Amino acid sequence: MLNEVLFYILSALILVSALVLISARRPIDAALSFIVTLVSIAALFALQGSSFLFATQIIIYAGAILALILFIIMFLNIQDKNLPDEPHKKRDITFSTLAVLPFTVVLISLINKSPLVDQALPYDLFGGIKDIGSVIFNDYLLVFELISILLLVSLIGAVSLAKEDKDVK
Amino acid sequence: MLSNYLTLSVILFSIGIIGVLSRKNIIVIYMSIELLLNAVNISLVAISNTLQSNEGQVIVLMIIAIAAAEAALFMALFVVLFRNKRSLDADIFNLLGEKNAS
Repeated sequence: MLNEVLFYILSALILVSALVLISARRPIDAALSFIVTLVSIAALFALQGSSFLFATQIIIYAGAILALILFIIMFLNIQDKNLPDEPHKKRDITFSTLAVLPFTVVLISLINKSPLVDQALPYDLFGGIKDIGSVIFNDYLLVFELISILLLVSLIGAVSLAKEDKDVK
Repeated sequence: MLSNYLTLSVILFSIGIIGVLSRKNIIVIYMSIELLLNAVNISLVAISNTLQSNEGQVIVLMIIAIAAAEAALFMALFVVLFRNKRSLDADIFNLLGEKNAS
């Protein structure tokens, strides 16, 4: 019972802050409401007992990625005149909502037809670091190594993209 | 119930698509793409907890790592684009498009 109430509170937080994100005019407002979304999603993971993913979501998303976004927004020193004019923002949002709505309705009705959905979630401590680690290092070792290479490539790519090109200028 | 989690995930995914489709500010578009990834994460974690299988959570970990790699590249792109055009408008960055298309 308590779990259900917590779930509804958290999903209301997630949806409201996501709506604020996509309608905010200044990027700093969008980033601050994105923090609320990410922390609420992390709390949703904790509610299901996925303790390791809870910690990862807080550390990597709400910590590292959001700090990077906020740092870049402040580093670029974005003034109001740098922001794009969006005179038809309300119209655009309405039309894209109409475009996405059929997809949402069909998917939700498909979800409710699935035989799996009536199961209650166990809500016990599950998915700790030991369980996940044993699955990664036994079955998914190759994926793990490939992702480390991907991170290295993106690090090098980011540095070489952002560095000032002295020869051209 | 699992259906609550999956419905929340679908609605969040739709909000992310609406953000990508309707906004022009590239930083807001980037954060909407992150919303899509997070919506998928919610459904994967709920399904993996229901089935008592850890593989879904491993996929979520991989998605979070890829999102971190993506974030670094996006930030470098923002710096380069803003340095060259002094704007965040997605419609200005049309160097690869046709000349007369607005």
